[in-house]
Amino acid sequence: MSLLPRLARRQLLTQLRTTEWRALLLATWIAIALTTLLAVLGDRLERGLLHQSAALLGADLVLSSTRPITPERLEAIDLADTRHTQVIQFPSMVGQEEEWMLVSVRVLEPPYPLRGKLVTDPATPPGALPAPGEVWAEPRVLAQLGLELGDSLEFGYSRLTLTHRLLASPDRGAGFRSFNPHILVNRADLDASGVLAEGSRADYRLLLAGSSENIRRLEQQLRPTLTDYERLYTLRSDQPLTGNTLGNALHYLNLAALIALLLSAMTIVLALRRFALGQHTRSALLLNLGLRPDQLVRLYLYQLLIAWAVVALLGLLTGYLLQGAVYQWLADLLPQSLPPAAWWRWLIGPALGLALLVLLGLPPILQLARIPVAHLLRGDPPPQDRTALLLQGCSGLLLIITLLAFLQAPAAALSLLLFLLLGGALFGWLAQWALSACVRPLARHGLLGRLLAMRLRQQRRWHRLQAAVVVMLLTLLSVIWVSRSDLLQQWQAQLPDDTPNYFVINIQPWEKEALSRFLAERSLQTELYPMIPGRLTELNGEPIRPQLDPQQRSHNALRRELNLSWSRVRPPHNPLLAGEWWPPDTTEPLISIEQEMAQTLGLEIGDRLGFDVGGVKVEGRIRNIRKVVWTSFRPNFYIIFSPAVLKGAPTTWITSFHLPPEQQQVSRQLMQQFPSLTVIDIEQMLSQLSQWLQRLADSSALILGLSLGCGLMLLGVTLLQAVEQRRLESALLQTLGLTAERARRLDLLEFLLLGLVCGVLASVSAEAVLASLHLYLLQIEPRLHPWLWLTLPPLSALLFVLLGLLIRRPLRLEQCYRLLQSG
Amino acid sequence: MELFSGLDLSVAAGESVAIIGRSGAGKSTLLSLLAGLDTPTSGQILFAGRSLAQLDDPARAEIRLHHLGFIFQSFHLLPELTALDNVRLPLEIQAAADAEQQARHWLQRVGLGARTDHYPAQLSGGEQQRVAIARAFATRPEVLFADEPTGNLDEETGLQIIEQLFSLNASQGTTLLLITHDLELARRCRRRLHLHAGRLEEVTE
Repeated sequence: MSLLPRLARRQLLTQLRTTEWRALLLATWIAIALTTLLAVLGDRLERGLLHQSAALLGADLVLSSTRPITPERLEAIDLADTRHTQVIQFPSMVGQEEEWMLVSVRVLEPPYPLRGKLVTDPATPPGALPAPGEVWAEPRVLAQLGLELGDSLEFGYSRLTLTHRLLASPDRGAGFRSFNPHILVNRADLDASGVLAEGSRADYRLLLAGSSENIRRLEQQLRPTLTDYERLYTLRSDQPLTGNTLGNALHYLNLAALIALLLSAMTIVLALRRFALGQHTRSALLLNLGLRPDQLVRLYLYQLLIAWAVVALLGLLTGYLLQGAVYQWLADLLPQSLPPAAWWRWLIGPALGLALLVLLGLPPILQLARIPVAHLLRGDPPPQDRTALLLQGCSGLLLIITLLAFLQAPAAALSLLLFLLLGGALFGWLAQWALSACVRPLARHGLLGRLLAMRLRQQRRWHRLQAAVVVMLLTLLSVIWVSRSDLLQQWQAQLPDDTPNYFVINIQPWEKEALSRFLAERSLQTELYPMIPGRLTELNGEPIRPQLDPQQRSHNALRRELNLSWSRVRPPHNPLLAGEWWPPDTTEPLISIEQEMAQTLGLEIGDRLGFDVGGVKVEGRIRNIRKVVWTSFRPNFYIIFSPAVLKGAPTTWITSFHLPPEQQQVSRQLMQQFPSLTVIDIEQMLSQLSQWLQRLADSSALILGLSLGCGLMLLGVTLLQAVEQRRLESALLQTLGLTAERARRLDLLEFLLLGLVCGVLASVSAEAVLASLHLYLLQIEPRLHPWLWLTLPPLSALLFVLLGLLIRRPLRLEQCYRLLQSG
Repeated sequence: MELFSGLDLSVAAGESVAIIGRSGAGKSTLLSLLAGLDTPTSGQILFAGRSLAQLDDPARAEIRLHHLGFIFQSFHLLPELTALDNVRLPLEIQAAADAEQQARHWLQRVGLGARTDHYPAQLSGGEQQRVAIARAFATRPEVLFADEPTGNLDEETGLQIIEQLFSLNASQGTTLLLITHDLELARRCRRRLHLHAGRLEEVTE
């Protein structure tokens, strides 16, 4: 081995004993492990759930419609040389005896699927489907209902036999419903079950597969003929079939990782700064001995590279273990098992680690190469000029660009970065102010107080940085911890006791009377509302879209079909904000509009709105504006017409009611007597949602836990920056007449106070964040979390004191003078 | 290893004593022993009749605080404190009631009345040592230890510092123990002692 790498290796081995190198290696390790975790897990989730592939789509092209695909529509499509099949998917309650659950039903006919395959237990030959009378269900259904293969499952009027566990399947459908557990049934069983009547909500899909030329031709043919209620999914769709929610969750985790990466970067910067300061004499000596500056730069770069190679291996291994653990954690919530990540995804973590070390390491190393040899004689530091600043600025900028590129959501990451910087500056300043405010009275009463006041002035720069890091981290961790268990529960707890817990949809007109009677007999207070799909098309007789700005056009009311309703009387839970309700017997075409929609679209009383309802134009004049509480779990509508207008349109009805615990059997009776109704158990839905929220919170807590590790290291390194100065100060104070015990107490008091102040600030800011979540997200009264106030300050004080004690080396009196003399 | 042998030195109040010797002779070790910062393995050091070795840490700290002052070769000002705060430091430790006023007074005495709010980095080497002198005299010590006080200064500045040191010393009646290898400087003291091979010899002209 030539001289430079050998020297670099020796240097590194000696320096491994120093705290700054340990901190540097640990920080890089965490950064690499975390990046690997996110890059690999993210890729697996994306490949498995977000990206389209024929095997996932179950076809090459899918026409999806909220209405049945009519034979006429089918005939209009040129299906020559193309395989095709139809699928109907809808939510339904299925169960047995006492146990019922909401599942996503897929009704199939052969051939199915056109691409990919169904994996079942026991295994089935390719192309096999549930026979009539059979049902295949995902393991979650069996687990939740306590069923075994061979048991029967009630599905509307029918009773089906559970014959296979469904382990994996393509074509899960779009949106959040694809996360519901699925069951597969044969098309032949659908009519007998009576669960799907005309006008019921369902996703009707036409799956198509063929040569790429045929598919392209079909796509060209279909796209211009798509109606409002149809969508076309291709292999190249921008819109992922499954889980925008999951995509958002991934972004959120990536952002959480940004915090850890920034902390690692700061730790590395400070560790290198301290390292470089200690290398001045050595560099001057090496240069004096004849080493050229470029060789010196190479020497230190080798040292960084050797360190990187070791840490990259460790980081990869840790990242591998972490992603396995998180995957296990999410596995029972994921609709199917995930494919492995692309090989190059494993390189991202080590590459980012290398970028961190080289970009942050180059400026101090280049500075070392410029140190004058006279440093050996006079102790001159390397020149601090514009080149050095420019170099630092450039590498900082490059690093931020690298981080943003890795996180893939530059805008969000940039705003988070700004928020962190501003928030950090604010907290640092607040902590410093609070510290001096605390010490002022102390300073009047005792020696330690006065010395502490001087110490605070002396350490203020580091205190600001330390406080900023600790307060932000503790705030984030507390917010995540509290919201994990607390938010959804609190929100549920504040709902009035009689808040409906069941929705019933797809009520057919001929079932309305019988259902009202059924509910009345059981003393359940309900109102049934008609529901008619329609699209808002005109405002005051002109097409509405050109009259709105882009932001207004993005309102829900214009992006999809609305559920329109009509009523003689005002819904009791919708207070009027403006205008008047119409007389019950009015024949005028009038409209009651929801306040937020009216405001966003700039609509006023007297405006005329036109709708396309099943191809028929319907118009009405706005007569009043209603307030709607969407989270009241009652049927709510943007638009309610006066009775005259919509009476002829094809209508289904909707209702919701509160079923007290002692009356739970009513939901089963309801499903048995009216199998075509879709009964939705809201509590079950909320508990599924809360499961997701908890896993998401846990995953981000894992990442923030790692960030806390980085934060502690950063804290350690900042304490280390001033450790010599602290020692010198302590030696001076002791020489001037302070006892060693008092010097120790001064240090402890400083750390204790700093810790307490940070803890209190973190409590305040965590409460502020939680209060705003309560107010703006959940729209409920904020409340205090006393245990935050009780735990955070002592916790943070303990943190500072422990770290301080770890870094502080006691100074014996006889060392003091020697230290001062050598210094 | 025996550092010193047969050392016998007594210094009367108000005397000025220079200890000279080559580097490595043990001058600074002797000084830290005399100041009670270190304890001899044998023999004893008396301060105002009390044996330093028999005192505990707080008692020795008390003596340093109220009776001793120090001036170092490399000044040892705390970089994040202003000149005023640096001078105030020992007064604060003493819990002096008018610490700030006294600190200002002493900075004025060393000619830095206009630079009280400057940080050490904003002061020249000579000015920093003057702040250190003000700090040393501020507690009105009975004994002042000065360890190569001009060692880090150029000749001219060194001379000015020495002038200041001796004039303050004279006006305060402080006992001065000066460690130096500069014979010119040593000559300004009433007594000169040469430390050589662990022994002290009185130097006479």
